[in-house]
Amino acid sequence: MKLELIDYLVIAVYFLFVVTIGYVLKKKIKTGNDFLMSNRSIPLWITSLAFISANLGAQEVLGMAANGAKYGLYSVHFYWMGAAVAMIFLGVFMMPFYYGSKARSVPEYLAMRYDEKTRGFNAITFAVMTVFSSGISLYALAMLLNIILGWDFNVSVFLAAGIVLIYTFLGGLTSAVYNEVLQFFLIVLGIAPLVYIGMHKAGGWHGIMQNVDDAKLHIWKGMAHASTNPMGVDAFSLVFGLGFVLAFGYWCTDFLVVQRAMISKNLNSAQRTPVIASVPKILMPIIVILPGIILLALQKQFTGFELPLNADGQTDYNMTMPLLLAKLYPNGILGVGITALIASFMSGMAGNVTAFNTVFTFDIYQSYIKKNASEKHYLYVGKGTTIIGILISIATAYVARSFNSIMDLLQLVFSFVNAPLFATFFLGMFWKRTTANGAFYGLLSGTVAAAITHGLTTAEGKGGWIANIHTFYSGTSQAFNIAGIAFIVCFIVTFLVSLFTEPKPENTLVGLVYSLTPRQKDKTRIWYKNPLVLGVIVLLITFILNIIFY
Amino acid sequence: MKKLLDLRFVIGIFFAVVGALLLIYDLTTGQNKMMDTSVNIWSAVLFLVFGAGMIVLSYTNKINE
Repeated sequence: MKLELIDYLVIAVYFLFVVTIGYVLKKKIKTGNDFLMSNRSIPLWITSLAFISANLGAQEVLGMAANGAKYGLYSVHFYWMGAAVAMIFLGVFMMPFYYGSKARSVPEYLAMRYDEKTRGFNAITFAVMTVFSSGISLYALAMLLNIILGWDFNVSVFLAAGIVLIYTFLGGLTSAVYNEVLQFFLIVLGIAPLVYIGMHKAGGWHGIMQNVDDAKLHIWKGMAHASTNPMGVDAFSLVFGLGFVLAFGYWCTDFLVVQRAMISKNLNSAQRTPVIASVPKILMPIIVILPGIILLALQKQFTGFELPLNADGQTDYNMTMPLLLAKLYPNGILGVGITALIASFMSGMAGNVTAFNTVFTFDIYQSYIKKNASEKHYLYVGKGTTIIGILISIATAYVARSFNSIMDLLQLVFSFVNAPLFATFFLGMFWKRTTANGAFYGLLSGTVAAAITHGLTTAEGKGGWIANIHTFYSGTSQAFNIAGIAFIVCFIVTFLVSLFTEPKPENTLVGLVYSLTPRQKDKTRIWYKNPLVLGVIVLLITFILNIIFY
Repeated sequence: MKKLLDLRFVIGIFFAVVGALLLIYDLTTGQNKMMDTSVNIWSAVLFLVFGAGMIVLSYTNKINE
């Protein structure tokens, strides 16, 4: 792939705009709250697009195209069952507690609902996870640019990190959110022509039906058993592990995405943010999964569309999107496509850094190091944390370059910590008897259960470091089952410990627990302002899509 | 300067600039025929229309609730 002046010009224009956005917003930043929370003043359409854009990182754009090629249409479960339902649940049922409690972060909600040790556990693990994830994203971007464009690894790392640092340092969360919306449109409009050209070349949907294995063109067929579908997952693991535990755990408790809804102007907007975001989310497979399926059709009809092998000698599905860009885009629009890829990495990195600086400043620094300081002081801490976050990300990128297996291990540990989290929130919000000790020991037990399950099972050569008592058909199936077991263990331990420990007085739980919080009546009675009505409509559309592509 | 705080305006300008760059590039080189018409030409038109739409929206102030 060889770029020309026009491609570099497009990339330069993009860099210029993202930095300008940070510079222009700098004047609006006066306090720590402005920098870290956008002063809860962001319009609904921006929070909604930022909500999905914060998740539209490299893993989404490159990873889902790879899944499209590997698993076919089955990959849409991550959207139509995983994301959509969880996002609507967050908006309708959980956002009133996050927003209404006036918590500034998810760990702060845990402090209000439970106690400081539960908050500390969540804040520290989250802060570590986000900053390492940011570094892994940076490493992946530099490697990609090195492989497909021949760019120097060091230049790519420092250029991308430098630009993210400039706009997040200058404009804080508002700048990150504004850039996420720009990045959303760039990714969608930059990749949409690729889908159109690819479909045209593959002979349209008819050509895809003729040239792609029928087993990859359904989403439920063969789900009765893990051995009868390309994903290697059975229906129960899919619905419970992905659709309930992992999806709800990510979309409803990960501060990185929840933060985008929490900076809305009012509660109604905060509730509608994830619900409205679910509409483009269910359409996103057209942009990120369909290219993988198009590649399968093109491989059957033309030469030159074969994916390269990775270092282990396996097909490198992550090269799906770069390969299509190289083969189908001429110079000019190629620059837009490459910029869209760069934007997806930067979006993911900025999202992690802004979530990191908020949690560190409010939940670690203000809680444990210096309470009751001035707003100006927390502004400086937030800005300092942004620089530190970027520096750790750069260091992580270099560690990842030298010791790739350490990064795999880190990501695995993160998944263990995340898996049981939804049980803690679910019980805390909907069972007033849940106690702080119950939540804390439930979380610990769930995390340990996830690690043990991984140690006792294998899939695609991974896991089984204690003993191998079961082999899953795929790594995806193993991940879904680990999450399911971690959730169940956390749920049971939290429940049992809560029965034998003292709950908080009910008057301290108003606004934090469903049964103790007065229902808000919809005064407007306009259907499109009602998150429940909107949610039901989206669910109906999702249900119909599931039937069509059965 | 105040208009630059309106994200719709900024996004509109961005896509208008990128669309204009693609258009100029294609008209001056005119060699990238992947389909019946140039990919760059119809992508440029798409970006220009989207950019113009966002700029117009930024002056209506209707969805900036």
